Amino acid sequence: MTNTDPALLEGEYIAQRHHHETLEHQASSVLSKRIRAPVDVVWSTVRKFDEPQNYKTFVKSCIMHGDVRPGNIREVCVISGLPATTSLEMLEMLDDEQHIMCYRVLGGDHRLRNYKSVVTLHPETMNGKPGTLVIESFSVDVPDGNTKDDAKFFVEALIKCNLKTLADICEKPQ
Amino acid sequence: QGAGMSHQAQHCLAARQCPLGSKVLACGRRREMEDTASVVPSFTALPCGMMGMCCCDREPAKPTTSDLHFFGIYDGHGGAQASAYCKERLHVLLSEELSMLDKVESSHEDLDLGWNNRWNKTLNDCFSKIDKEVGGVCPNGICDDETVEGGCACCEDAIAPENVGTTAVVAVVGSRQIVIANCGDSRAVLSRGGKAVPLSTDHKPEREDETSRIEAAGGRVICWDGYRVGGFLALSRAIGDRYLKRYVISEPEVTCIQREDEDEVLILASDGLWDVLSNDYACDIARRALVVARKKRENRTFSPGEDPAAASVAALLVKLAYSKGSKDNISVVVVDLKS
Ligand SMILES: [Mg+2]
Repeated sequence: MTNTDPALLEGEYIAQRHHHETLEHQASSVLSKRIRAPVDVVWSTVRKFDEPQNYKTFVKSCIMHGDVRPGNIREVCVISGLPATTSLEMLEMLDDEQHIMCYRVLGGDHRLRNYKSVVTLHPETMNGKPGTLVIESFSVDVPDGNTKDDAKFFVEALIKCNLKTLADICEKPQ
Repeated sequence: QGAGMSHQAQHCLAARQCPLGSKVLACGRRREMEDTASVVPSFTALPCGMMGMCCCDREPAKPTTSDLHFFGIYDGHGGAQASAYCKERLHVLLSEELSMLDKVESSHEDLDLGWNNRWNKTLNDCFSKIDKEVGGVCPNGICDDETVEGGCACCEDAIAPENVGTTAVVAVVGSRQIVIANCGDSRAVLSRGGKAVPLSTDHKPEREDETSRIEAAGGRVICWDGYRVGGFLALSRAIGDRYLKRYVISEPEVTCIQREDEDEVLILASDGLWDVLSNDYACDIARRALVVARKKRENRTFSPGEDPAAASVAALLVKLAYSKGSKDNISVVVVDLKS
């Protein structure tokens, strides 16, 4: 008998896909967001590694070098007023069946060295309608002069902002 | 019946003429230009004696009005929407607010405190309104609440997207008094009798009272390439920034200062200038340059808001800031208070 308790399932998904081997000087965390839209709708936005600005409102522009394929790199430019200007990011995995996307930061002008991201989507029924559980995790070097707590706080806030906009966009009546 | 521009009232003869000023802005070493500036001579008029702005010996039987002049600097971030909107709208909104004030007149000195409080309230109301207009405040109060599940469509069409904002430092200049309202890290400095007198205090997250305020509201100030609210914004107050509105408020700090004969020049500028030039240095340069530039001023055939002498001083300050390595947009308003 399959256990359908959403909380337990979420825990399983995290254990399966969102484990980050972190060293002492690194921080990592996991966040989740429930979006009231079918998985396909959410995935169609998330999978566009070349168009993060569609839902990441801190991104001003993105240049993708080559196709959206693992191994290829995007150059992201960020809006003004933030502690960053650019980021160079490589797509590591894009699984359209299982709805998994992984990327890592190679460089850029920011303080998130060795940032790694894993995003997974899972169908979940919400109020009788098809919904999506989005799980996003990361690991990152803690920059000099900051604590693990600082790094977690900042990155979590950034991810929460992005997940909120993702929800806004996907939940909009099409 | 408002207290604003009464068309029957005569223009006050004791009112000083509009101070000559100008603005100069530069994109500098940035990719985008998000600073704006506003110079609006005679943006509104008030009955003399009201709000402590005119110094005439007014005969009560003959109502007169005197003009007020507006200067502002808006340093935008995240995008230009908020600073562009403020440039067009803030002085208009302030004029509307002033026209709605009760017609209470008095020129007694002891009412100065009352007038200062009224300026404080009027400017606070004005900034609060413009923050709502631009979309800095979610009308349902939920856009910056991460505990709220589900999407929020209420601020979709806001003029400023949630992570766009701007500073605002504005000066209202009357014959008798200068009123400054500041929100953010742009700054107003007065050169008086050879000394720099700052008329505003920057709203930086590491300012102790601002840190306390932010923490009391549940926020955090993190040193992350400078002190930042939540690690994001290096400002503790701004117009816009809906996503941080709990912590980055639009409430201005207001300063009123009586004009004196020793007043030389008023400088408003964005942090693109102040990050590399000290108040003393900027005032020194501006004062000396203005002395020279005034001599070359010809007949007043130009608009008081586009004074070539003030413009040359503003341009000099911009160039100096750039040459000292400023990496930001640089915007300066110079007002010749001896004009
Ligand atoms: Mg600036």
